[in-house]
Amino acid sequence: MEQQTLRQFEARCIQDEPPVCQTQCPLHVDARNLARLIAGGKISEARRLLDRTMPLAGLAGYLCEGPCRGHCRRREVDEPIDMPLLERFCIARSRFAKPMPLPPTGKKAAIFGSGLSSLAAAWELGRKGHSVHVFHVGPPGRSLIDVPAEKLPETALKETLGQLAAVRTTFEAAENFSPEQLDSAKKKFMAVYLGFDDPALKAVDFNMSEPIPVEPATLAALTGRIFASREPSFIGQLAAGRRAAGSIDRLMQGVSPATAREAEATYPTKLYTNLAKVTVKPQKPPADPLAPTPEEAMEEAGRCIQCECLECVKNCAYLRHYKGHPKKYAREIYNNLSVVHGLRKANNMINSCAECGLCKEICPLEADSGQFIAKARLEMTAASRMPPSAHEFALEDMLYSNSPAVAFFRHQPGADHSAWLFFPGCQLPPSLPGETAAVYEHLRDRLAGGVGFALGCCGAPAKWSGRQKLTQTVRDDLHKIWEEAGRPQVILACASCSLFFQAELAEIPAITLWDVLAETELPATGRAAAEELALHDPCAARHDPKTRQSIRTIARRLEQPIRELPLSGELTRCCGYGGLASAANPEVGDLIAGDRAGDSDLTMLTYCIMCRDRLKGVGKPSLHLLNLLFPNAPMEKAALRKPPGISERQEGRLEFRRDLLFKCWGESPAPGWLMNSFPMHISEELASRLERRRILTSDLAAVLRHAKEHGAQFFNRETGRYLTSLRPRQVTFWVEYSLDDDGAYTIHDAYCHRMVVPGVPGCGAGSPASLEGYAAKGGRA
Amino acid sequence: MKAELRGIKAEGWLCRNCREPLQPMPVNITYMGSSFQVELPRCPTCGYTFIPPDLAYGKMLEVEKLLEDK
Ligand code: SF4
Ligand code: SF4
Ligand code: SF4
Ligand SMILES: [Zn+2]
Repeated sequence: MEQQTLRQFEARCIQDEPPVCQTQCPLHVDARNLARLIAGGKISEARRLLDRTMPLAGLAGYLCEGPCRGHCRRREVDEPIDMPLLERFCIARSRFAKPMPLPPTGKKAAIFGSGLSSLAAAWELGRKGHSVHVFHVGPPGRSLIDVPAEKLPETALKETLGQLAAVRTTFEAAENFSPEQLDSAKKKFMAVYLGFDDPALKAVDFNMSEPIPVEPATLAALTGRIFASREPSFIGQLAAGRRAAGSIDRLMQGVSPATAREAEATYPTKLYTNLAKVTVKPQKPPADPLAPTPEEAMEEAGRCIQCECLECVKNCAYLRHYKGHPKKYAREIYNNLSVVHGLRKANNMINSCAECGLCKEICPLEADSGQFIAKARLEMTAASRMPPSAHEFALEDMLYSNSPAVAFFRHQPGADHSAWLFFPGCQLPPSLPGETAAVYEHLRDRLAGGVGFALGCCGAPAKWSGRQKLTQTVRDDLHKIWEEAGRPQVILACASCSLFFQAELAEIPAITLWDVLAETELPATGRAAAEELALHDPCAARHDPKTRQSIRTIARRLEQPIRELPLSGELTRCCGYGGLASAANPEVGDLIAGDRAGDSDLTMLTYCIMCRDRLKGVGKPSLHLLNLLFPNAPMEKAALRKPPGISERQEGRLEFRRDLLFKCWGESPAPGWLMNSFPMHISEELASRLERRRILTSDLAAVLRHAKEHGAQFFNRETGRYLTSLRPRQVTFWVEYSLDDDGAYTIHDAYCHRMVVPGVPGCGAGSPASLEGYAAKGGRA
Repeated sequence: MKAELRGIKAEGWLCRNCREPLQPMPVNITYMGSSFQVELPRCPTCGYTFIPPDLAYGKMLEVEKLLEDK
């Protein structure tokens, strides 16, 4: 991956931007973190944070006026976080954590005045190893002595002066200030700072006019070696002291004081924070605002929203599962792609995204994780770095759907051309065979010019897996069928097919089944369910407003009450099938489906059969719109129908093909049409184990057929069972079975592995159902 | 993966063809261009190798995943 691609993507995600309280704090104190630490009772950690970012925190923490409050996001809900209260609490209850002063630099600066800005400047310079000489009139820090003791404890100033002495600050009391003093300081010191917040210091003392003009970014006045400020607020004085110190330090290091000052001013943050779910909880005023108790401080700190974005993460189970926001994992993905030697630890993560596009819709900056991940997959397959097991099963299932045993095309019975071509996809026919046949009949009744029929898979799985060549071959095959059919208008029943056609087969005029149905008279059989249904838009329909509208039109005409989900339409969620997420990572696939299932207590209604089956798979009663249009069972029962398993899907396609060919075209099935005519007994428990292990009954049949011809490999004397293995493709299957009296096989266990063990008989790489075999042939036979 | 493979049991299993009880013997198993010599129950006569399910879904799967990510 080009580094630029990463950078561009990263730049979109603003999750790492600082919160507004920090960007609008003149000192950029990490207030969000401060609140988090105090809420968690971590006072000394909070103190360390303050000591890092606040000059002379032991003093400053009592004095800051809290300008962040004017920007705090919480004020949009109720009241801003009382940051000054938290700081005051933290300082009062903790001790100064002495930083390691840097070794002396031998460079010297003079400061006139001992107001807060002067003390802050002295501290910042002293910490860096510079020697600072403070000229003052009256006791040092006199202006702070006037602050009432309840607000600023008397010890605070004393301790501060001690800290300053520890970093080589010397104080020199004078009767008054004079121009001669300044002249001699200019000669003796590398730079001079004039802190006019000390009322003892006046411009006239130096024969200067008031106010002294300064350059805002550096506070440079007059010649480059004099810096000055006059800030009315304490926080302004602290920031000015730090800023002047920054200029003087640069000067001492031989760089221009103007270098790299951009980040110092306050600025608006780019961070986005959604406040919709923040509940109102105004501040509980402490009994004594100047001495909050730990409970009061913790409660106030706990009100902090901890502003962040994570909009995508909150709405995507996949991102939540991998515990990262895009900025973090984009880098992991980038690094993963760059690994030359070593483990590619992010492979599984890359393959678990549903590429559903929700994150892009939700992200304030439209960061498109799905697209980024699709790119990563393309690169992985191009570099032969895609783990073969991730998508192989799904892809071989796709190839099977497109194999001559399953796929076919016919013109409408009795016709020799097709104005239309109904393409229901590979999953609808095995899941709702009767309804698929019924809607085909309905289309023939309603549409003129002949409605042809084609069974097969569109190729979406190939695209999701990042296999460009395979995608191309599958799409070319489909194009040929379309040509053969006489370039008809294609009617698609599956949202994923629709999306795939738009992207890969744009030359084919395609329309969704739902658009056709909405524009024609509905089947007389159509009826509403007895209850209100929650409408789930498939993620593939996210950018298909027309179809979404058609669905709502059909529901209205059926008088089916519909509840719209909060995340619907363009913001709809995925069922986990998209992007082959559930194929590569069943656990994450189920988390994604679970999120959606949890969005409503009502039975779901959808119009993508994979959505329907996957939602039901995680326990959600769900209906497909065809269940309403062609009901053949009570609706409550249809909503609870168990989705077909992997073997049932493959067999279901064969059965559907046989039934439709017979019913519409009077064709009888060719002998041996069923893939496994082996009589087998499989317990329900084993069946679900096989489902998880992705072992098909046709795999079992292949192993048994081989054993029947060549004899089993192992026999168990104690149990009387046989065990035998076969490697029909990149997987070795083992079946433990016994022979029943009636000639049937009882299967006790079956398992598989990918490693090659010598001696296991195989069918060779040319097996028609294998990916290798398909690639070698370059498409359909 | 050698150490973990010791003690793989093939209790009661015979090579059906040779009628021989299985014995731990070295065998080379391979995946994604890597090869491992391990000791597994095999028929001493014809050499058929026995793989039990807990091996297939235990150590073997772990190594397969590792090699796929390499
Ligand atoms: S709610 Fe917390 S994090 Fe957000 S702006 Fe206010 S103090 Fe900062
Ligand atoms: S699953 Fe969907 S929402 Fe989540 S990261 Fe992937 S594309 Fe974005
Ligand atoms: S929605 Fe996600 S990707 Fe977009 S800015 Fe927020 S955290 Fe980053
Ligand atoms: Zn043998």
